[in-house]
Amino acid sequence: MEPPKIWRERREKYLALGILCHECKKKSFPITQYCPYCSSENIVELKLAQTGKILHFTRVSQTAEEMMFYAPYIIGLVELDDGIKVTGQITDNKLEKLSEGTKVRMVFRVLSKNGEEGLIGYGFKFVPI
Amino acid sequence: MDYQYDSSRLELTYISITAIMNKLFQGIIMSKLGIVSYGSYVPKFRISIEEIAKVWDEDPNEIISQLQVFSKSVPGPDEDVATMSVEAARNTISRWKGNPQDIGAIYVGSESHPYAVKPTATIVAAAIDAEKELTAADLEFACKAGTAGMQMCFGLVKSEMIKFGLAIGSDDSQAKPRDPLEYTTGAGSAAFLIGKERVVAELEGTYSITTDTPDFWRREGAVFPSHGNRFTGQPAYFQHIVDASKGLMEELGTKPSDYKYVTFHQPNTKFPLTVAKMLGFTTDQIDISLICKNIGNTYSASSMLGLAHILNNSNPGDKIFMTSYGSGAGSDAFSFSITDEIEALKLYPLTVEHYVNNKEEINYGKYSRYKGILR
Repeated sequence: MEPPKIWRERREKYLALGILCHECKKKSFPITQYCPYCSSENIVELKLAQTGKILHFTRVSQTAEEMMFYAPYIIGLVELDDGIKVTGQITDNKLEKLSEGTKVRMVFRVLSKNGEEGLIGYGFKFVPI
Repeated sequence: MDYQYDSSRLELTYISITAIMNKLFQGIIMSKLGIVSYGSYVPKFRISIEEIAKVWDEDPNEIISQLQVFSKSVPGPDEDVATMSVEAARNTISRWKGNPQDIGAIYVGSESHPYAVKPTATIVAAAIDAEKELTAADLEFACKAGTAGMQMCFGLVKSEMIKFGLAIGSDDSQAKPRDPLEYTTGAGSAAFLIGKERVVAELEGTYSITTDTPDFWRREGAVFPSHGNRFTGQPAYFQHIVDASKGLMEELGTKPSDYKYVTFHQPNTKFPLTVAKMLGFTTDQIDISLICKNIGNTYSASSMLGLAHILNNSNPGDKIFMTSYGSGAGSDAFSFSITDEIEALKLYPLTVEHYVNNKEEINYGKYSRYKGILR
């Protein structure tokens, strides 16, 4: 990943921030300039819930060069306790030990490494509670 | 002249006495400097001494009896010093329930920072939402850089340059395959929030020893550290810890029996037990801190994880003693007194004990891959 992208997305990826719309009162993720539901710009940053449950999950074997070191890994659609659905990796675990409905908690992990000398991308993943 | 009752003068005197008393009282309250919160993190994976010994055709029982360590912690492939530091820092903030924007300094002590140039402390600051009005730096002093960070935070808070300071000790320690170090090099992190409000462990004093002792080193660009084998014992670990511990107790006028618990740097279980005996501490005082039996030597986090575990098992009024050791070499000794505030913080669920017990055994092949030995 290029430096500007890592820098621009750090609050969203490190802190798992979305937005809350003051007009339609809906929450969404990721951070956008306006509400994806009603297009209002009357929005504020919102810290997402740190726990949730797995809705769906699968194993990824082929991926981008900068993430191949971690493959195969598990990616899941997680419904957070505040109702927002996010996709993220389910780490520290094996596919056969997971099931739909497994409770998970957000953790801070390495997402990608740009070769031996490039930048390290960090962000949230999930581990079963 | 007749005695005349001067009420206004009496009132003034009363006000000034009250003001002096208040100031004195406030002075006593305000001077309480110490640990406000604490957090820890240990990765989930473990490799047993037996599994490592099997690869090198060595007798595991002999190694276990020498080191008194049974397994060590191994970070997952997506973990490093920055991620482990963030987990310990987040546990500290969540346990404290305060505002991370009030943190004025973050210091991360480690000898395995993910970048040679690009501070881990900046990543931690962003990941706990403490950006951007703060000072931060990465520290290196072998296994005692974390406690050096604690001393820096105590100084800054005491001089009122900052309100709260966060000191972290974190390491993903490295060892050359087949080196005796390979049996104990673990991974983990511990964080302490230093301040003057709602102090859980009041600092009674701190004292340091520093000498130029070449017992353990890693040259710039080298992947694995080197060490002086038996030279790492008497002139290094034992001499520095004994000098720093005795120095602090002499300065404070305390003795080993005044303390409920004690923790030292834990390169294995045998060394801290031996140094405790040399100083006059009993096995009962140190036993609780010896988490290296199951997670190995966590380097910069080692004595600090011992302290975090002790805090979670201590009661108001207990006195706690800690002395770290960093090769190169130096020791930082600390004396703490536990306050009533500890009770609320003990309820936080993600404790050292939780992480030590949350484990999955892996074999040497997977260990090699996770540690990046196999590429």
